[in-house]
Amino acid sequence: MDKIKLSTANIVILVAGVVMLIASFLAFLKFSTPSFTIGGQHFGGSVSRNAWSSGNFLIATIPALIGVVMAAHVAVVAFAPQVKLPEKVLGLTWNQIHLVLGFQATIMMLAFLIRSTGGVDKGIGLFLMLIAAIALLVGAVLRMQEQPDPVI
Amino acid sequence: MLIFSFLNFAPKTSAWASGLFPIATLLPLYGLVMALQIALTKFASVKLPDSVLGFTWEQVHLALGAMAALMAIGWLLTDTGSKQIGQWFEILGGIALVVGAVLLQRERDTGAIG
Repeated sequence: MDKIKLSTANIVILVAGVVMLIASFLAFLKFSTPSFTIGGQHFGGSVSRNAWSSGNFLIATIPALIGVVMAAHVAVVAFAPQVKLPEKVLGLTWNQIHLVLGFQATIMMLAFLIRSTGGVDKGIGLFLMLIAAIALLVGAVLRMQEQPDPVI
Repeated sequence: MLIFSFLNFAPKTSAWASGLFPIATLLPLYGLVMALQIALTKFASVKLPDSVLGFTWEQVHLALGAMAALMAIGWLLTDTGSKQIGQWFEILGGIALVVGAVLLQRERDTGAIG
């Protein structure tokens, strides 16, 4: 069986895509209030919402979906070479598509980072998604540099 | 899109207001970049480089248009309370941007599409 060799760029994209997906299920925003118990009933505490929660879905889920698409493309090319993908999509090469998607994920996560959330805290999921988005962009730039045909 | 971005996006809130800026502002900014490039080259005869980061201008328009449409669909499906006129025009504008980018490709006969 042939040994599959992934280039650095593709490893970065694959890992970042997986991290992005996992992080999207962690707290994107969290709200904490002092907790207390009255008459056996518990009030307050911490409430968190992830990127798939109502109010965040679909706009905050887009970067996660972008990560999944990028990682899926790398995985299909590497692990299922029998699957034939078109060389270009809408006139863009796959390297260009990776760059556009990586840029979009990064710009959206930066926008979420800058956005004022009032008294609501930004959660670990948001920060992990931001890091993963930057990694996707870095991976896409590395892919461009590995032109014309990256070693997969 | 830029004009409508100053109208209500969510109840009593424009896309530039705290809580929505800059995530809801990306769409009109993408539209602005696309419109500026066309206005500068067509009306002001400004000579821009043939390509940017390996992308032709038609590809830049297509990439920005596609991402704008993606965000438009994102906002369409996001529960932001009752959608206001500003948000509806951003959604329509985002879709119009990708349609315009595809038409631009065909018009200039780049061979990329159709």
